[in-house]
Amino acid sequence: MDTRKPLDWEKLAIGQTFEAWSYVLTQEMLDEYRKGVLDAEAPFPTIAHKVDVAAYNRAHKDAGSVNARCAFHCYNPPIPDKRITVHAWIADKYRRRGKTYIVTEAVSVDEDGRLLDRVITHELKQPWEVGKKWG
Amino acid sequence: MGVVRAFTAGDVVPSLVKHMTQEAINAFEGSSGRSGPSQFTDEETARHTLGTRGTVASGRMSLSFALELLRRYFGADLFNRGGMVDVRFLRPVRPGDTLTFTGHVTGVAQEANGTRVIVEVAATNEQGETTAIGTGHCLVPRGFLPPEEG
Repeated sequence: MDTRKPLDWEKLAIGQTFEAWSYVLTQEMLDEYRKGVLDAEAPFPTIAHKVDVAAYNRAHKDAGSVNARCAFHCYNPPIPDKRITVHAWIADKYRRRGKTYIVTEAVSVDEDGRLLDRVITHELKQPWEVGKKWG
Repeated sequence: MGVVRAFTAGDVVPSLVKHMTQEAINAFEGSSGRSGPSQFTDEETARHTLGTRGTVASGRMSLSFALELLRRYFGADLFNRGGMVDVRFLRPVRPGDTLTFTGHVTGVAQEANGTRVIVEVAATNEQGETTAIGTGHCLVPRGFLPPEEG
């Protein structure tokens, strides 16, 4: 059963935290990520896991979104086969030109306590605007 | 190991070219274990969700390319342990696009442990249209700077 709450942007609280979750980053995930970004040395496959937005999507359902802006801070490249724990929260929300955005943020830490990275994403919550503007 | 060198505002970051394919997009999306159609991997889902004529690449692919641009410039030893990039996505990137990422140093700031080098980055497609812009920075420790700058 889908227990996620429909997004009510007006009521979404800045600072709301999501339940921490974890996954094991495998060598296969790293290899596939490197294949995707055409970079044999790409060190942060965590980017493709979209962990901040994934945390939001575990709690809320909506009509989808488009990534408008994303920041990524590198601290330590993850090591394959280590379990990674993600802590995520709503960092901000804003309205611009009549459209609504939410800003999610997450940090990833591995099972040895190494801080891996921090990601901050601004998502436009009206994804159809992309097609209207760019086709 | 990083190389000892100086950084000055106006320095040009060597460019990086990426040819986008649906295969690469699928690999990126699948690398997290996600399966099932999405606006990135399935044309019908893209049309329904975004209203676009086909699939698009995740902005996080461009983010990864911008990180690669600066990792190659600063060196992995430095950039992977203290570098960052902040990118705004201006246009969709689609399979078949060829993206060129460029950058230049816009500032250097002395800090207690070295020099923070600030870079502007941009991505353009084969039509010359800008698809993303942003900034990044990296703290270069004293040991990686010429003596007069350390």
